[in-house]
Amino acid sequence: MERGLFVRIAGMTLAVVLPLAAQAGGDKPLYTVEDGNKVDAATYNGFKVWRAAACDRCHGPNQEGMVGPSLIDSLKVLTREQFDQTLSEGRMEKGMPAWNTNKKVMDNLDDLYAYLKGRSDGAITSAKVQMIK
Amino acid sequence: MIAGLKHKVAAAVACMTAAGVAFADADLDRAMKDPGNWASQAGDDYNQRYSALDQINAGNVNKLQVAWTFSTGVLRGHEGSPLVIGDMMYIHSPFPNNVYAVDLNTQQIVWKHTPKQDSAVIAQMCCDTVNRGLAYGDGKVFLQRADSVLEALDAKTGEVVWQATNGDPKLGAVNTNAPHVFGDKVITGISGGEWGVRGYISAYNIKDGKMAWRGYSVGPDAEMLMDPAKTMTWADGKMQAVGKDSSLSTWKGDQWKIGGGTTWGWYSYDRAENLLYYGTGNPSTWNPTQRPGDNKWSMSIWARDLNTGAVKWVYQMTPHDEWDFDGINEMILADIDVKGTKRKALVHFDRNGFGYTLDRVSGELLVAEKYDPAVNWATHVDMNTGRPQVVAQYSTEHNGEDVNSKGICPAALGTKDQQPAAFHPKTGLFYVPTNHVCMDYEPFEVEYTAGQPYVGATLAMFPAPNSHGGMGNFIAWDAGQGKIVWSKAEQFSVWSGALTTAGDIVFYGTLEGYLKAVNLKDGKELWSFKTPSGIIGNVFTYLHKGKQYVGVYSGIGGWAGIGMAAGLEKDSDGLGAVGGYRDLQKFTNLGGSLTVFAIP
Repeated sequence: MERGLFVRIAGMTLAVVLPLAAQAGGDKPLYTVEDGNKVDAATYNGFKVWRAAACDRCHGPNQEGMVGPSLIDSLKVLTREQFDQTLSEGRMEKGMPAWNTNKKVMDNLDDLYAYLKGRSDGAITSAKVQMIK
Repeated sequence: MIAGLKHKVAAAVACMTAAGVAFADADLDRAMKDPGNWASQAGDDYNQRYSALDQINAGNVNKLQVAWTFSTGVLRGHEGSPLVIGDMMYIHSPFPNNVYAVDLNTQQIVWKHTPKQDSAVIAQMCCDTVNRGLAYGDGKVFLQRADSVLEALDAKTGEVVWQATNGDPKLGAVNTNAPHVFGDKVITGISGGEWGVRGYISAYNIKDGKMAWRGYSVGPDAEMLMDPAKTMTWADGKMQAVGKDSSLSTWKGDQWKIGGGTTWGWYSYDRAENLLYYGTGNPSTWNPTQRPGDNKWSMSIWARDLNTGAVKWVYQMTPHDEWDFDGINEMILADIDVKGTKRKALVHFDRNGFGYTLDRVSGELLVAEKYDPAVNWATHVDMNTGRPQVVAQYSTEHNGEDVNSKGICPAALGTKDQQPAAFHPKTGLFYVPTNHVCMDYEPFEVEYTAGQPYVGATLAMFPAPNSHGGMGNFIAWDAGQGKIVWSKAEQFSVWSGALTTAGDIVFYGTLEGYLKAVNLKDGKELWSFKTPSGIIGNVFTYLHKGKQYVGVYSGIGGWAGIGMAAGLEKDSDGLGAVGGYRDLQKFTNLGGSLTVFAIP
């Protein structure tokens, strides 16, 4: 992974507001990040969902992949629709569960996507985040 | 005992179901008496993993060469080993748990069994789909499938003789353990401590698959098969009755119902005492703040009567777990000298980093010492109370939720995980594959939802700091004194079960894929061979047509293997590490094969 990039971003104090949501009424940013690890309330909620669902057991504590694929890489490729479909239906033969019976995951797909996309974009520089105060 | 006689005896005492009377399986007894067979996963009931074969020995092992190989057709973690009975070898695979019977004369597949299992089970086994192997007895081969179905297959044809459903995979109750045949029972456990499964161990009748008994790890006395007045435990320097509600009184409310204490390790059996030995795993969740109390009897060593399941004694190693020191590792039975006295001992290398020696008849605690000097979460075990003395700095409860407790040794995967150790009767020592890994551990609040992960902590793991930089050691251990005799550093965790032989050698595999033979006396490497994939299987040996063979599965996976890419937080990178498990990718790749060696 691009450690050099991470270090450079982490070394600066900056706020990232990236990118604009593609859907209708898209003036709301997908996520807001300050100092690399402070995020808006919705993105923070996405982190909490990631943690509660124990995604790290397969995708790694830093989303870099273990028995499951790297989400840093996957979220550069997956469309939002594919992301939702993968979460909902799973990829059973590969060990990805279908989360459609898990209310906490399904009700918070937007937040989870924002958090993981922020990680994949390199805007969120550590897996653990705090809420912007 | 011959089969006919056995039936008569069984009929005569059938109405008694008395504790203490051992019923043998004549077929398995016969097979196990011949050291040319490898008729059970450990080679015996005692979990010693010692073979009396000596054709391959310290003097000629350097001439060992590959004799033949076999692909299981499945990738991912290959734990356990094949069985050999006479001219037949029984080979198993990870999910979907295929079984092959191979004729050693022709190396032809005589039959294969390919269970159809719901692939949803794969995710419930997160993160690897291992299976620790088959059992044999009564002319049957026993397979404990991932989806919890226990199957008895006709050893000659592979036809299913009976099936028993051992758990509900929809609630996370799946299986990775090998079933074990002791007496006239098949013993099996359950996994799912990270799904809030309430653990149990079950005994099925070898003949028809009917459940003989089931004993839970936590909950009401009757469901644990405990007698408050007769079941004993170590307290105040002596064995005492556990008393009423010994589990219930150590949980808040009804948390015990999702309390964990699963049972996926290797079991052992002492026929003279008719006692079954095994360990129970971590309490659920991994967040200790959410489950106050000692959480008995998670993290415990158990002795149960084989016939009835009644608990003779129990000892909790890690009260109120705060680190996932899952206590399921094997109990090795050996008669050894302990501090000057000959004892019928039970020796156990726990995930928590302490090597325990107990009297296996009475349950008395004799020795509890660190088997890796890196262990830091507790200073020592108080021999009077039997409790570890926890260091506040490494107490994840003391530090609290959402606080990252740093530098805890060992890591959650323990100083040793399930990879079984071996005993050598000549030296009286234990040869132990170990991890040399530490962790940062951050617990957080988690809600229970049936059938969903119930973990509640985030971990980062790294090589033990200020040491040799590697993540493993292979050690020789004196269980009578509680001392390391020698230690051989390994770059990665040694996740393969060891084998000792009368040829004065010890075999083990490495995550890079090397099968190694080392000297009993000093651990000096005598021979090694690089197999196709990393080794997390157990080494086994057998005779065919008078010639000794040694074999092992290779197929990286399991917890250590999935850690091939396990991430270190950036700030952990500077710990003198060699890059952690990530470096493993430079050495090996996924695979699934058996490699068998012989001296030409």
